[in-house]
Amino acid sequence: MTELKLNLGPQHPSTHGVLRLILELEGEKILSCEPDIGYLHRGMEKMAEKLSYIQYLPTVDRIDYLAGFFYSELFCRTVEKALEIELSDRVRAIRVMMLELNRIASHLLWTGAFLMDLGAVSPFFYAFREREMILKYFEKITGQRMMNNYFVFGGVRRDVFDLDDVDEFLKILTPKLKDYENLITENPIFLQRTKGKGVLEPELALNNSITGPNLRASGVGIDFRKNDSLYCGFYHEPVVLKGKDAWARYKARIEEMRMSGCIVRQALEYLRKDEPLKQKLVNPLKMRLPAGEFLSEIEAPRGLARCYIKSIGEDKPYRLKWRTGSYYAVNLLKKLLKGAYLNDAIAIAGSLDIILPEVDK
Amino acid sequence: MNITEFLKVFEDVAIFEDKIILKRNLIETVIYLRDNFGYNVLKEITAVENDDTSVELNYHLYSSTDDEDLVLSINVSNETESLSHIFDSASADENEIYDMFGIHFIGNEDLKRLYMAEGWVGHPLRKEYQDDDERLDWND
Amino acid sequence: MNYLYHLYIEFLAKHGIPQFWGDITFYIIPLSIIFCALLVIVLALVLAERKLLGFFTQRKGPNRVGLWGILQTIADAFKLLCKENITPKGVNVFLFNLAPALIFVPVMVVLGLIPYSAEFTFMDFRTNILIYVVFAGFPLLCILLGGWASNNKYSLIGAIRNTAQVLAYELPIAFTVLSIIALSSSMNLREITLAQSSSAGIFGWFWVPCILGLIIMFISMLAELNRCPFDLPEAESELICGYNTEYSGMRFAMFYLSEYGMLFANALFIAILFFGGYLSPFGKYLSPMIFPETVGGIMIYFEQVCWLLLKSFLIIFVVIWVRATLPRMASFDLLKFSWTVLLPISIFNFLLMVIIKYTGGIYA
Repeated sequence: MTELKLNLGPQHPSTHGVLRLILELEGEKILSCEPDIGYLHRGMEKMAEKLSYIQYLPTVDRIDYLAGFFYSELFCRTVEKALEIELSDRVRAIRVMMLELNRIASHLLWTGAFLMDLGAVSPFFYAFREREMILKYFEKITGQRMMNNYFVFGGVRRDVFDLDDVDEFLKILTPKLKDYENLITENPIFLQRTKGKGVLEPELALNNSITGPNLRASGVGIDFRKNDSLYCGFYHEPVVLKGKDAWARYKARIEEMRMSGCIVRQALEYLRKDEPLKQKLVNPLKMRLPAGEFLSEIEAPRGLARCYIKSIGEDKPYRLKWRTGSYYAVNLLKKLLKGAYLNDAIAIAGSLDIILPEVDK
Repeated sequence: MNITEFLKVFEDVAIFEDKIILKRNLIETVIYLRDNFGYNVLKEITAVENDDTSVELNYHLYSSTDDEDLVLSINVSNETESLSHIFDSASADENEIYDMFGIHFIGNEDLKRLYMAEGWVGHPLRKEYQDDDERLDWND
Repeated sequence: MNYLYHLYIEFLAKHGIPQFWGDITFYIIPLSIIFCALLVIVLALVLAERKLLGFFTQRKGPNRVGLWGILQTIADAFKLLCKENITPKGVNVFLFNLAPALIFVPVMVVLGLIPYSAEFTFMDFRTNILIYVVFAGFPLLCILLGGWASNNKYSLIGAIRNTAQVLAYELPIAFTVLSIIALSSSMNLREITLAQSSSAGIFGWFWVPCILGLIIMFISMLAELNRCPFDLPEAESELICGYNTEYSGMRFAMFYLSEYGMLFANALFIAILFFGGYLSPFGKYLSPMIFPETVGGIMIYFEQVCWLLLKSFLIIFVVIWVRATLPRMASFDLLKFSWTVLLPISIFNFLLMVIIKYTGGIYA
C-alpha cells in the first residue's frame, strides 16, 4: 500500500479548536503524526511585559476560556505571594466555590464535545442544559458568563449572594450525572470505540509531564489540590482509576464532577454563615512588586498550570511565563497516535481534553 | 533532598535562593537526580533574558513519589545541549524557547518554529526584538 | 389497478384513440401519482427528522419558515436549486452526472412494487419480493459511481467503505426475507399481507413468530441506508462528507432526497413483512361504520392506505429515535458484527420459521 499524507485540518466539525494534525497513513493505520500549532498565538507573554499588573488581569481569563477562573486565581496567587497578602476564610470559600463550579462547567462541555465527536448528538445538548445554570449564576454574581474578571489581588470584587441558586444546581447535578452514566458509560457502541484505545502507561505520562485527569486515569494519584493552601479544609482524596485508556479518562472526569459537587457543597455551607467580607485589596495604581522571582501553581481542569513572574521592582513584570496542561498533551499525541487506526484517532485526541488557547498562549 | 549528598558528587555549583545554579554537566546532573533521588518529571523549562543578552534557563524538576520540587538553573548564550532524549516533554519546551529566544538545542532533531510562521526572522521574546515585519503593515 | 385501466381505455375510446396507444401510455398515470406522493413524503420526512431531533435534544427544530416550520424543506430545496453546479477538473463527466440521475430509479421502482391497498398495487408480479430485494441494493452502484468519478481520494475511501458495509448487510436481509417467504408460502407482497390476516388480530401478524427477524431486519436497514449508528461513510470528520464531497447544488439534493426516499420505502417494506401491511389492527375496517353505504365500500381502500402509512411512520419514528441516542460504530466492528453475529442468527431464524410453518398453528 502506498503512503498517504492526510491533514486533520485546522478546521474541525467539533470543538477541538484550531489544531492541525499532519498524519501519514498506510491504508487505515497511522504511521506518524505531527501536530502543527500556532494558529491562535496571541503573544500573551510578550503583552505582559508592556502592561501593568492590573491592566493585564482581565487578559488572563482568556488563556483558557473554559477555565477562566483558574488562570485568574493563578495570577492573583502569584502576585499575592510576592506582596505577602493572606486571604481571609470567607474569601477562600468564595474562590473555592467559583473554581469548582468552573471545573464542573468545563468537564460538562468536554463530555458533550467528546460524544459529539463519536457521533451521538444528544448528550451535547443535555450537557449544555446543566452548564446554562452555572453560567446564569456567574452572570448574576460577576456580570459575565465567561471571562469573568472577578478575582483581584487580595480578594474578590464583590460578595456573593443568592446562594439558593447554587443549592438548586447541586440538587439536580447528582441525578443528571446518573442519567449520563446510564446513557453513555455502559453503552456497547461507546465501549467499543473507547475501551483499549489510546492506552497511556504511567511512565510515559510522567515522562511527558502529563497531569490532571489524564494522569489520574492511568493510576498515578497526583493531585495538586492536596497541598494547596486555598483548599485547606475543603478537599479530600484524588480520583484515581486504573484503566489507562480513553474510557478511563472519560470516567475519571465524571467522578471528578461528582467530587467537585461535594466541594461546592462544603464551601456553600461555610458561606451561609453570612460573615462580613474582610479583604485587604491592593491599590492598583501604587502597586509595585518587590524584585525577585515568584512561582505558583494550581490544578486546572486540564492539568497543572503554573505562573512564573520575574520582577525588577517596577509596576510591570519583567518576564511572565505560563505553563499549561494541554501543551504537553498535544506533544503526547505524537507518541499516542502512532500505530492507531484512523477511526480511533478522533476518539483518542478527544479524550485528552486539549484546548487550543492554552496551547498557543 | 539531601543537598550535601548532592554537593559531594558535583562541584562547581552554587545554591542561590532555592535554585541550584550549574555551569556545565547539565545532562549528567539531570540523569543523576533522576536515578538517585527520584526526580522523574520535568514540569517546565523557563527562559529569562538577562541584561547582558544571555538567557538563563530554569529546569523545574519534580519527584512524583516524594512530592518535591527542584530548580536547576544555567546561563547560556547561543546553544546548549538538549534533554529531549531523557524527558519527552523537554522537546516541546525547547521548541518554544528556540522559537521565542533563538537558543539552539544540540541533539533535538525536531527543532522548528512552533508559534511563529515559517520563515519568520527574529525571536519575539528577546528584549531587542522590534516589531518591524512588513507583513504586519497590512492595515496601514 | 384494473379499474383505473378500464377508466382510462374508455376515456380514450370516447375520443377515438385506439386501445393500442392506451396500453402504451397508461403507466404514466401511476408513475406521476407515485412521483408526486414521493416528493411530498420526502419533504415531510426531512422536516420530521429535524423537528424530532430537536425534540429529543430539547430544542425546537425549524420553526421560522411557514407555520411550525412546514415550508423548511421547500426553502432548502429551492436554495439548492439556485446554487452553482460545480464540476471539478479531472472528473469523468459522464459518470459524475449519471450517478445522481440514476439514484432515483430504485426509489421509484421500489415504491411501485408495494401494495398500498387491496386495489392500489401498481406492479403485481408473482415474485415481487425478489425484485424489491434486488433494487434495494441498487443505490450502492450509484454511490460507487459517484465516489469513483469524483477524482478525490476522500470520496473514494467513503464509497469503498460504503460498499463493504452494504454488501455485509445484504445477507442477513436475504435470510430474513426467506424466512418470511417460508411463513407465508408466497413471494408476492400482496399475498404476504393477506397471509397475515387471521382471527388473532395483531398477534396474527408476522412480528410475533419472527421477532428475531424483525430486529435483524431493522438493524440491517439502518446499515443499508447509511444511517446512525452506521453512518461512518458519511459523517466521518476527516472524510468531510464521503462520496458526497464533490457534489454541490441540485446533484447533492438528489443524493440527499433519495436517502429519505429509500428510508420511506424500507419502512413500508418492514411494515408489510412484519406488521400486516394495510390490514387494520382491529380486524375490521372502520370506514363502513363512519361513511354511508355507497361510499363506504370505496373508502375502505383509502383507509387501508392510511393504516400502511401509519405503521411506516411509526417505524421511521423509531429510526430517528435511534439516531438521536446512539454514537457511531467504527468500520471494522460494523463488518465483524454483521458476519459473526447477524448472519448466524438470521440462518437460525430461517430454520425456526420453517419449523413453525410445518407444526401448524395460526401461522400455517
